[in-house]
Amino acid sequence: MATQARPEQEFFCFRVGDLRLGVPSENVLEVLRAGLLTPLPRTPSFVMGVTGHRGVVLPVVDLLRFLSKGEARIGPRTRLFVGVSGSFVAGVVADTVLGLRRIPVSDILPPPLGGDAAAEHLLGVVQASGTQEAINLLNFTKLLQTARQRAVAR
Amino acid sequence: MSLETPNEKPAGKPRAGKKPAASKAGTAAAPAASPYKPVTDALLSVLAGNLQTRVPREILSGEAAELGHLLNQVLEQFAAAEHRKQVAAQEIDQALDSLIALVREGDLSRWNTTTEDPQLGPLLEGFGKVIETLRTFVREINEAALRLSSSANQVLAASTQHETSSTEQAAAIHETTATMEELKHASAQIAENAGSVARVAEETLGAARAGRGAIGEFIQAMQQIRSDGVAVADSIAKLSKRVERIGTVVEVIDEIADRSDLLALNAALEGSRAGEAGKGFSIVAAEMRRLAENVLDSTKEIKNLITEIREATAAAAGAADASKSATESGEKLGAVAAQAVEGILSGVQETSDAARVINLATQQQRTATEQVVASMAEIEDVTRQTTQASKQATGAAAELTQLAGRLAELIKRFKAD
Repeated sequence: MATQARPEQEFFCFRVGDLRLGVPSENVLEVLRAGLLTPLPRTPSFVMGVTGHRGVVLPVVDLLRFLSKGEARIGPRTRLFVGVSGSFVAGVVADTVLGLRRIPVSDILPPPLGGDAAAEHLLGVVQASGTQEAINLLNFTKLLQTARQRAVAR
Repeated sequence: MSLETPNEKPAGKPRAGKKPAASKAGTAAAPAASPYKPVTDALLSVLAGNLQTRVPREILSGEAAELGHLLNQVLEQFAAAEHRKQVAAQEIDQALDSLIALVREGDLSRWNTTTEDPQLGPLLEGFGKVIETLRTFVREINEAALRLSSSANQVLAASTQHETSSTEQAAAIHETTATMEELKHASAQIAENAGSVARVAEETLGAARAGRGAIGEFIQAMQQIRSDGVAVADSIAKLSKRVERIGTVVEVIDEIADRSDLLALNAALEGSRAGEAGKGFSIVAAEMRRLAENVLDSTKEIKNLITEIREATAAAAGAADASKSATESGEKLGAVAAQAVEGILSGVQETSDAARVINLATQQQRTATEQVVASMAEIEDVTRQTTQASKQATGAAAELTQLAGRLAELIKRFKAD
């Protein structure tokens, strides 16, 4: 009843560096441990390398570099989630997985105007409420497209 | 002279005796024969004391004249003898006067009386010899008196000196006696002190013995502590190993929890993809994930605790090591202390013995001092008597000197030369 009255969207929420990000859960296939990465030459800096997963070669993206917010470090607890958009699949580095969260659509605020490069890939922002902190919700499809374009343009 | 006079007198007397007889006869015959009357008168006059009377020769004749002439001759001789007698008496008087003066004035040098009388000569010569002897005596006495005076002076000086020194000696002896008294008191004090020293040394000896026992116990305790410390170090090493083991176990648990977390996350994603049907599944998976996270939190805490325990055991091991070395040095110190106490024991023993010896010696000294004090008292007594005697001797010597002076004075009155 309430769900019908207040439509919700499920996001896969994680933290990388100082950023708290959310990705729509339909774009996430599964979560892995970040194993050994094979560096790939002639790629943009945000591509950390490739790794094999279920017989598929998976490029691994560092969102911090992509959004120009620093750079990620791979540790024993670092996670890698497999993001999918259409036919494109990529691994994304996450320091910590916060979990799946159902967020009412009405709570999603538009991204701030006049933002930097990150702002164009945002669906919106969930403001902090109670113990929950603000999370930037990413437009993963657009982000993946931009990434492909940048990789190819090179 | 004296011998001659009696000879002469009897010679005269018979004549005189004859004369009275003749005068008696004359007187008897006077009325008859007056021619003898002048003779008789002359005889009467001589008898009356007039020795100058002579018989007048012109009135006599015959036998009477011859008798008168003889009588006159007798009277003449008698007068001459009388005169000689007077001269001799005068010379004897002179000699006697001279002797008296000599004795009164003591001037023996003035004796030079001489005489022409051959009868008096030997007498005066005898007197002269006597005077000469007297002179020699006086000279010798004078000399002796002078010597006596100087000797008496010397005796007086010596006696005075003796008296002074005797007085000084008495004072010194008195002082010595006082000093000996003080010495006696001091030795009594020393004896007392030595006694208390011996007593204290005895107490110290007991205390040192107790200290020796305590140090022995201390060393034993130290050894116990050291062995205990070794045991503690062993236990700490074991604890450390166990903790390491716990760490590996916790690592395994951590790994499992991590995998569980991942599995739960993927299960939630699967549930999400199943749509409305997988909703419950998703909730369970989320719950499982929370459990896994709880486990991870707990293992993190355990890891922290293990780190702390590791630090604590390291500190404990260090402390055990320090305790070991401390107990070792404590044992060494105990050994040193034991040695020191042994030294103290022997020293105190010696002190005790020495104090006892001192006590004994001072007691002997005290008795000896008492004897000395007694002897000193006797000596003081004797010295007092000596002083008294020397005072008397000085008095006597002074008197002697006076007497010698007086004797010399007296002798001076006799001039010998």
